[in-house]
Amino acid sequence: MTNLTHLVNAMAKRPLPDEWEECIQRLECKDEGHGYDLFGLHPNWIRTGVALLRFLYEKWFRVRSEGHMHIPPEKGAILASNHSGTLPFDGMMIYLDLLRHSHPTRLPRAIMDHFVPMLPFIGTFFARVGVVGGSRGNFQTLLEQDELVLVFPEGEPGISKPFSKRYQLQDWRIGHVELSIRHQVPVVPVAVVGAEEQMPKIAEVPISMFGIPSLPIPLTLFPLPVRYHIYYGESIPFYERYRPEDADDPEIVNAAALEVKAQVQDLINKGLQRREGVFR
Amino acid sequence: MNVAQEHTTEHITRVMITGATTPIGRALIAQLLEDEKIRCILALGFETTQKAYAANPDWAESALRLTYQQCDLTRSRHVWKLMFGIAKELKIQAVIHMAQHRAAKDTGRKVHALNVESTKTLMDFSERHPTIKRFIYRSYGDVYKISAALPVLISEDHTLNLEPQAPQWIRDRVEADLTVCTRMGLSPLHIVVLRCAECLCPNQGSQLQDYLSSAVCFRPLGYDPMLNILTLSDMARAMKLALKTEKQGVFNIPGKDTLPLSRVIQLAKRQEISVPGVMLYPLYIARSLTTGTDFRYDMNRYRFHFSCILNGQRARQDLQYTPQQAVQW
Repeated sequence: MTNLTHLVNAMAKRPLPDEWEECIQRLECKDEGHGYDLFGLHPNWIRTGVALLRFLYEKWFRVRSEGHMHIPPEKGAILASNHSGTLPFDGMMIYLDLLRHSHPTRLPRAIMDHFVPMLPFIGTFFARVGVVGGSRGNFQTLLEQDELVLVFPEGEPGISKPFSKRYQLQDWRIGHVELSIRHQVPVVPVAVVGAEEQMPKIAEVPISMFGIPSLPIPLTLFPLPVRYHIYYGESIPFYERYRPEDADDPEIVNAAALEVKAQVQDLINKGLQRREGVFR
Repeated sequence: MNVAQEHTTEHITRVMITGATTPIGRALIAQLLEDEKIRCILALGFETTQKAYAANPDWAESALRLTYQQCDLTRSRHVWKLMFGIAKELKIQAVIHMAQHRAAKDTGRKVHALNVESTKTLMDFSERHPTIKRFIYRSYGDVYKISAALPVLISEDHTLNLEPQAPQWIRDRVEADLTVCTRMGLSPLHIVVLRCAECLCPNQGSQLQDYLSSAVCFRPLGYDPMLNILTLSDMARAMKLALKTEKQGVFNIPGKDTLPLSRVIQLAKRQEISVPGVMLYPLYIARSLTTGTDFRYDMNRYRFHFSCILNGQRARQDLQYTPQQAVQW
């Protein structure tokens, strides 16, 4: 891993285009003394991550996005997005998009499924660029640190849903809404249009390795060059309606979660109507 | 246990310390001697008095405030005599218990007796003692379970490692910790449990120290978890602060250094080789058998894969403890 760190440091020294470099320079990472934050985030790895994924963002998926003004400029917030595409390129594209276009620049801390940290190399890479293991404790810590937390309430069933169920939100988990009410932070609905068609799933192999629930078999080995459209909806200030203690009321939390789900579905539907084609 | 309970206590000036000849014991005694309000320290250790004073020449200069006694904590009659003898004469008000068997490779009844039974005995006697009002127990961050599904930042209510297949070193520490915790609120004693992060120091039973003692350190391929490391001085300071607090409860004591394992190896100027995790267990068994070192991979497997950092928020609020000293690599 030290060799890998040397490689990362070497890559981090290679210049990025000015617009990306400026965004990374503006980031404020909570250094715990050795350049890393509590969860293992390091700015050099962000730079390397951008260098590796920028091609996908700019050239392959040609990401278009709108609604950045709804991203709170400071304090904690939760971004709740739909999840799809067999492999989590949607999360990566939201990550790069916010890094590039949010004002002031904010780094989204994506919550990954709890099996992801078990994956060698991938788990470490994700941790270094700011992705955090999916546990309630980690989520709460991020909100207490006023971070912008990106969640996919559909979870694994969302990313591995069959092609026939594209753009139909799966079971919507409610934990993020509960924490939003408890910590009095807004929820920003996010919709990704395009990811559903990138790697249509044709089969699923039930394996149990590194905690992965199943291995999806996509139609294509690499993602298709679909165009990504990312829409950030108006933030929902649950804290204006509910007190922190309401987070323990299942009816309130369920209703609030359904409201977020409806907003995301609405953004998806509008995005699909406006889309001129899968690749355009 | 989740919320530190308030407890009115008098000012502590007379302290008994077990494990006084260990590095942390010596560091604590040095800090207590610097505090003029501490009028009496009864230091207990396994070494003979001659050996203890020879190893700590500065102790003789403080003979008026510091008394050393050799004591085998596994012999309850011996402890009883001491507690109701010299400790009663000296009007000891607080016990700081940190004597634990350090070597992870040692197992068996005697090790358990020191780690667990002696803790029970000390608590029993402290509860019946006429002047002892406070019991401070040095516990370990190793009592917590580490897993990919659990939070990185470990608070005091984190899941404990109660796995039956865990090594005795860990099982004993969990048992002793719980033994002390179960009495909290029920005992007349004011109880403080300090779950300390790993202290990187020789002769302190640090697995990481032993791991770094080799020129080459093997790591699981593809994993680089975040670790938190505590210094002797910070640990001793936390114990000193525990003497002053009016709160009782369990407190995590993190260190100032939070960094990945690869960086730890790099700072220790060791050569790192990443190998598949399955190869590490036989490699370190072979190392232990050939060189007599103490590092056990099965004990450290999870923390060599998944990050775990102690959350010191409660210690910050209630003990006013914040880590101050970084490791001098």
